Amino acid sequence: MDAAVVLALRNVTKAFSGLKVVTDVSFDVREGQRTALIGPNGAGKTTVFNLISGAYSADRGAILLQGTDIAAKRPGERTVMGLARSFQNIRLMPHLSVVENVMVGQHARTRGMMDLLTPLWLKRNRAWRDEAESQLRAFGLGTYPNEVTANLPYGIRKKIEVVRALMSHPKVLLLDEPAAGLNTRETGDLKDFLMGVAEHGVTLLIVEHDMSLVRSLCEHTIVLNFGLKIYDGPTASVQEDPAVLEAYLGPRHNAA
Amino acid sequence: MILVLQQVINGVMLGAVYVTVALAFNLTIGILNFLNFTIPPLFMLTAMVAWASAQYGLPFGLSSPLNWAAALGDGIAVAIAASLVVERMTFRYMKARYGDATEHAIPLVSSLGFLLIIENLVRMAYGTEPHRFTTPFTNMNLRFGGLIVSIPQLFSLVLALAIVFGLSRLLKYTRIGRALRSIAENPDASLLMGVDVGRIVPVVFVLSGLLCGVAGAIFAINYGQVYAGMGNEVGNKAIAGMVLGGLGSIWGAIVGGVIVGVVETLSIHLFGGDTVQAIVWGLLLVALIVRPQGIFGHHAIGKGKL
Amino acid sequence: MSGYLDGMAVILALNVILAYAVFLPVATGQLNLGGAAFQAVGAYAAAYISTQYGAPLPVILAVSASVSGLIAFVLALSILRTKGVYLVLATFAFAQFVSGVIINVDALGGALGMTVPEHVGGGPIIVIAGVVLVGVMLLMQTRFGLAMRATHDDDTVAELMGIGVRRTRVAAFTLGGVLAGIAGGLYAFYFNFVEVQTFDSLSSIYLLLFVLLGGTQTVWGPLIGAAFFTIVPELFRYVVANMGGASAGQLDTSWRFIILGIITVVMMVARPEGVVTRTGLGRLLGNRRAAPREA
Repeated sequence: MDAAVVLALRNVTKAFSGLKVVTDVSFDVREGQRTALIGPNGAGKTTVFNLISGAYSADRGAILLQGTDIAAKRPGERTVMGLARSFQNIRLMPHLSVVENVMVGQHARTRGMMDLLTPLWLKRNRAWRDEAESQLRAFGLGTYPNEVTANLPYGIRKKIEVVRALMSHPKVLLLDEPAAGLNTRETGDLKDFLMGVAEHGVTLLIVEHDMSLVRSLCEHTIVLNFGLKIYDGPTASVQEDPAVLEAYLGPRHNAA
Repeated sequence: MILVLQQVINGVMLGAVYVTVALAFNLTIGILNFLNFTIPPLFMLTAMVAWASAQYGLPFGLSSPLNWAAALGDGIAVAIAASLVVERMTFRYMKARYGDATEHAIPLVSSLGFLLIIENLVRMAYGTEPHRFTTPFTNMNLRFGGLIVSIPQLFSLVLALAIVFGLSRLLKYTRIGRALRSIAENPDASLLMGVDVGRIVPVVFVLSGLLCGVAGAIFAINYGQVYAGMGNEVGNKAIAGMVLGGLGSIWGAIVGGVIVGVVETLSIHLFGGDTVQAIVWGLLLVALIVRPQGIFGHHAIGKGKL
Repeated sequence: MSGYLDGMAVILALNVILAYAVFLPVATGQLNLGGAAFQAVGAYAAAYISTQYGAPLPVILAVSASVSGLIAFVLALSILRTKGVYLVLATFAFAQFVSGVIINVDALGGALGMTVPEHVGGGPIIVIAGVVLVGVMLLMQTRFGLAMRATHDDDTVAELMGIGVRRTRVAAFTLGGVLAGIAGGLYAFYFNFVEVQTFDSLSSIYLLLFVLLGGTQTVWGPLIGAAFFTIVPELFRYVVANMGGASAGQLDTSWRFIILGIITVVMMVARPEGVVTRTGLGRLLGNRRAAPREA
């Protein structure tokens, strides 16, 4: 039996100044699954991400997170409801330390004024920091919790961003081109890291250009082209699909 | 009625000063997204240097006292030179670091530093009291019925119109103008399209220095009096005009500047001189709250990180 | 001489409170060019209440702090829809507007200023400054403080993380208004006289600059900035006076501003993040393991 659908798009459409970037896109993301969202440049992948995370609002359609339509919610509310994301170009807070960045990720779980207005070193708040530090350690990032993130190497910052996103205890984690800017060894490293994340019970939806990462990480793939969904099925058979081949390699290839 | 009309005329003339200063503001904010607080001090510097050169001649005994026109030319030249110094120290050395909220304010903060330096150097050198600046036509007036228009007023108006006209032509029809506008639209894209941003930025500062200078000259000719506080008291009101009209728009600067000028002379006439500050700045506050993009502005400018 | 030192300690204490008044909004990424105006509101509120009604000093102080806090709140709420340069302009306009209004209100003495009957000594002011210092430090160690700094660094991501960016900014701006109001009230009680020229736009600029130059990444920056720019000009005044050179007050005020201006310009080129930065502080305290650097 299939796992429950945790995130679903229903006929989502978005246009920028009259130009349709995403047209009637619908798909399901199933719980515990690792799903890739791929497509040629300009296919609308990042737009779909921004629509899901709330950076843009959809012109039409529904975005269902565990059955609730979140299309009208603010980005922060979506995070509280169980959605988290990373960014294509890492967006850590440059002046905060590693552990502080991760603790910012906990914000969605705070409740009430006492959580906000009591010093974090008080006994009642120790658990926050402990959780952040142990999470960093669990992903092999425990070496420099107090370093300002601006000083750290790219690959490490990338992972810290993912750990931060995990701190809101998301159901679904959106990763926007996690392998961009990484070399082969770092990409392999990242794959293991993301496997570990998935094992924590987080559903992954990934925009990615690096097909080797997609193949080794994701069991399910959705392909967009010119804002339309052209494939939605197992990753294994995506490269045999005629529509996908045409989108990537042009019609001539398909005819031949 | 005729009195009110007279105040409107005077307001338009005062507005010419604001328009010119507001255009200087607009250039740096529209093209470089830089709120340049050295503009009011440069306006003041022009007038004070002009006065000093008419009084004492060039420094180090290079010349005897200059005649009024040469003195104004000297003032404008000094303003342009000072504007270039500001460019050197604010833009040349600015490196993008983290892109956080206050980083983009670095040039703004630098310009506040220059404001303190220029204002206070002038105060130390020439004192805070007003000085007379006379031209051959200082006391000449034309009468139209009951209305008085002074020759200096007319002269200033022509000067302001000429500079505004010249600037808009420059922006519209020259290569430099096109480059400037493309940077305003999208700095990254214009870099790609071969616009040499590094060489264009100084042009912006020369132009804004020139505008400050002309505004200082207009003020000196028109009011026959210059003083160290005029940057703060007069130059800053151009900010109100600029915002009222809309950041980054030439027409905005013109309309906003004239509105502020007329509002000022009318409120002096109706409520007394002490009320001007509260009225003009209150007007700006309301404008910022109700319609921050101004009359002609599009909201995008200056809205980015600062 | 001891009186002189006392006076300096009080000015330092007031400047420290003001520095934190400006620091709080800046820590969330908002430049406040109206610091002195909020101080003026507090000072005039205190002066007016104590001449018209009279009340225990703590009550007057609380009321003046509330008045300037309330005004800050309303301003922040109405202006924070826009950000960046518009906020700078709005605080600047606000500062000009406040002095423009005070000059026109006879009940506030207009341009002549106002005598304040009540007096408060240096001791309580220094104590209050200490309380403010500790209070701000504690605040910055809370999750709200973390949210402020996150908002400063990247408001889009902060919003995504569930931080109410607008609420955080309004709260920080309001709290800054309250602190400036306290500084204003104390100023009025200590000097027993307020006049609008004390709180002009140059003072606001001065205030913002010394906070920025001290550094706004940590709570220590504003303290260092306030201390440096209170003590150095005084030393300078002392030296100039002893050289027998300058007599006029204008001269040393001007020098003070010129020195600050030069330091500002140089600092923005060399070290725009201020004297005290997080990395620098960490290195100084030596409590970090070496981290790998970007190649």
